[in-house]
Amino acid sequence: MARRAAPRAVRLLLAPGALVGLVAGVALAVPLLPLGDPIRMEVAARLAPPSGLHWLGQDEYGRDVLSRVLWGARVSLAVAFLSASIAGLAGIALGLLGGYFRGLVELVTVRAVESLLCFPPILLALLVVTLLGPGAPTLIVALAILYAPGYARVAYAETLSTRALDYVVAQQALGAPAGRILVRTVLPNIAPPLLIQFSLTVAAALVLESGLSFLGLGVVPPTPSWGLMIRGARSTMEQAPWLLLWPCLALTGTIMALNLLCDRLRDLLDPRAGVAAGGWLARGSALLLPGIAAPRAPPALLEVEALTIEIATPAGMIRPVDDVSLALTQGETLALVGESGSGKTLTGLALLGLLPAAARLVGGAVRFAARDGTVHDVTMLSEAARRRLRGDEIAMVFQDPGTSLSPVHRIGAQIAETIRAHRPISRTAAAARAVALLHEVGLPDPAQRARAFPHELSGGQRQRAMIASAVANRPRLLIADEPTTALDVTIQAQILDLLAALKRQGEGMGLIFITHNLAVVAEIADRVAVMYAGEIVEQGPVGEVFARPRHPYTAALIASMPDDDDARLTAIPGTVPRPDALPPGCRFAPRCSQAAPACDEIAPPLQPIAPGRESRCLKWREVA
Amino acid sequence: MVGYAARRLGIALALIWVVATIVFLVIHLIPGDPAELLLSQGGVAPDPAAVAELRARLGLDRPLLTQYASYLGRLAHGDLGASLLDDHAVAGEIALRLPRTIELIGAAGLIALILGLPAGTWAALRAGSAGDRALSGLAGIGLSIPVFVVGTLAILVFAQLLRWAPAGGYVAFARDPARHLIELAMPAGTIAVGLGAIIFRMTRSAVLEVFGRDHVRAARARGLTRTRIVLHHVVRGALSPVVTVLALHLGSLLGGTVLVEFLFNWPGLSGYLVRAVEARDYPEVVGIVLVISILLVILNFAVDLLYAVLDPRVRHV
Repeated sequence: MARRAAPRAVRLLLAPGALVGLVAGVALAVPLLPLGDPIRMEVAARLAPPSGLHWLGQDEYGRDVLSRVLWGARVSLAVAFLSASIAGLAGIALGLLGGYFRGLVELVTVRAVESLLCFPPILLALLVVTLLGPGAPTLIVALAILYAPGYARVAYAETLSTRALDYVVAQQALGAPAGRILVRTVLPNIAPPLLIQFSLTVAAALVLESGLSFLGLGVVPPTPSWGLMIRGARSTMEQAPWLLLWPCLALTGTIMALNLLCDRLRDLLDPRAGVAAGGWLARGSALLLPGIAAPRAPPALLEVEALTIEIATPAGMIRPVDDVSLALTQGETLALVGESGSGKTLTGLALLGLLPAAARLVGGAVRFAARDGTVHDVTMLSEAARRRLRGDEIAMVFQDPGTSLSPVHRIGAQIAETIRAHRPISRTAAAARAVALLHEVGLPDPAQRARAFPHELSGGQRQRAMIASAVANRPRLLIADEPTTALDVTIQAQILDLLAALKRQGEGMGLIFITHNLAVVAEIADRVAVMYAGEIVEQGPVGEVFARPRHPYTAALIASMPDDDDARLTAIPGTVPRPDALPPGCRFAPRCSQAAPACDEIAPPLQPIAPGRESRCLKWREVA
Repeated sequence: MVGYAARRLGIALALIWVVATIVFLVIHLIPGDPAELLLSQGGVAPDPAAVAELRARLGLDRPLLTQYASYLGRLAHGDLGASLLDDHAVAGEIALRLPRTIELIGAAGLIALILGLPAGTWAALRAGSAGDRALSGLAGIGLSIPVFVVGTLAILVFAQLLRWAPAGGYVAFARDPARHLIELAMPAGTIAVGLGAIIFRMTRSAVLEVFGRDHVRAARARGLTRTRIVLHHVVRGALSPVVTVLALHLGSLLGGTVLVEFLFNWPGLSGYLVRAVEARDYPEVVGIVLVISILLVILNFAVDLLYAVLDPRVRHV
């Protein structure tokens, strides 16, 4: 992993690293540079502007400002690095011990130092300064005490998670002494976050040192320090404002470089990639074409044609959904079946125009017949027009009701909000309607449930609430994406019954039921479309497909279903191919028990094999 | 909710006790005789008679536990001791100055929120755009400039060059409200620079994070308008992490007042601390440190309560 990250690491760290290196280099080399004495006064030339001899001018005592800025770097950085290092050694030792031994050791190490975090840092420093008197050594002691708890906290948390790892446990089992395990195994593993903590601490110590020196309570004059220089320049601000500039620039620039280095280190060492904003927010991306498509053969409710979605990945462009076509008539239930990664969820999201930011629709049409009889291609509608469809004509129920309901809003308010987004009704009317809907989906005591927050309901109740919100506006099409997967088996059956009941009472609501569970399909669907590696491999009426599958993948899926009277289960060998490494021929061929040599070369088309049935297998006639 | 608040209050009280104990212990943990240390100036050994007198005055000659007990006892009665310099009661001086420090913090927090929250949300909604990059860069600078540099430069620009505002000072609100607010603007604005940058950053990343959540996708699937989703679901959900981060920075915010009050001659508690440290007036310093640290504990308690209001799930933890 480290090797792969190397070029990115160099690119990210180069600029801030070079800056910090430059400042540190100057600080180290300053005695060797041909500079004037930073503390030699020349009162006659006080506040002299920049000259050939004194490039940045002279300060209120006639001292050379350039020399003082560079020597100041030495003093400020020395205090910052030394205190950050001492704090690091002490804090890491305490954190390691506390995290490794726990119990009483944890109490006297980590918890004890953590109590120092109750104080604003500068106050604790001032308390120490009061007792010891100002000066660089006092400062180093004070800052080291101040910043040790930060390290202890990080080291403790990381040690806790590392000590449970298998290889640490294995070493313990082999009888390695604790000290050896801590230094040789645990420490290298927790080094990255500690490195970040170190650079954070150096920056913070620099700020605090200069602040205290500015107050006259840090570094003692005449030693040059940036904080002291700003203090001095402040008193002569009226005569020589430029004197403020250099130390301010040096200090701020150094802190900025350190902060940037911290940010970049964190980006690199913390693999949690930044989340991009949804593509729908990018203005101007929505096509503002009128949504009424040319009247082809009018679809009953929904007609998806050659839908293709691409995602740009580091490994290149992949097509998680490739040339998918579906059709649905009013009141029909279509099950979209496939393993995870087959593209079924992306297909469902594309119908609403809700693809994640990284995914791009590169082809195809989604024609939807609205209540008023007009037919829209959802992919061509503007975002505003799509929004009007969503939740009103087309609704969606998601897999995990625990995360798909807003945690900070009450259930009833979320349902009412859906209604009011599409209907001009009053707040109270919407609230009453929400309660009625909760009753309709079978929640006991709906008036009280409407006032509950999602976390106060059980998983099954939450999914009922989610469904209530989805059907609030009596949609023509409901897309249910694995609505029962996150629930207990008994609850699953109840939710399926609820969906079936809602369909019966509605005026022909179409349902697309996305699932990986064939048993559910048999129960709820009229027709089934089987997806594999981004493609539809077979499509047809549920009864026919189950009785006589015409694709080896479907057959294998059916064979792998647990059966009441037949205990034998047949697992499908192998795994779904990665979307960036698809086989050249039939995508299922490598796992297919009936593959012929031709299957590895020819990518078969989806062909009609009977009225209402399609298969993507060259040998569909022979599928047993 | 009441149970949660009670538990938090218990923790806050325990923390106040911890803070008081640490402040008490500091003088004893420093190596060497504290009285001698306090009186030594530039390596010159102090007069033994003066050391003995100071020891007696600070009660350092009594057994440690007796000292601790009487310290806590006096603290419970609001007695913070008397100044070494002129013998006046430390508590009285603090009571006079504390409201001014709180006012400064409140004003700074308000300015920072008013700037940081909308800017952070705006930048997140346009992540990657030129406007976002410009604001993020600006926030990076705001985070890096030490507060006393901001203050010094503000005095240079606004007081010295433009002459818009006085370089510092204080007029009581009751005497001249307009003047009072003008004097407040610069110090509060100075603190708000760094704080606003923190709030901006946190809001931006929290809004981006919330956008990726299932319930926002579900809200879009329900056909809510963009404005409603942003204001009602995204920003609402992003507030809790912003408040958490704000709480983490309360300490340095309070610390920042030390420099800013000193810089602008704001007669609050923190600036007074500088004079007390300069004079090495130990009871005075201890009193102020204690009060500001307790203020930090109380602010953290308030944040905990706010957190529960923002996120109903917390109330049951």
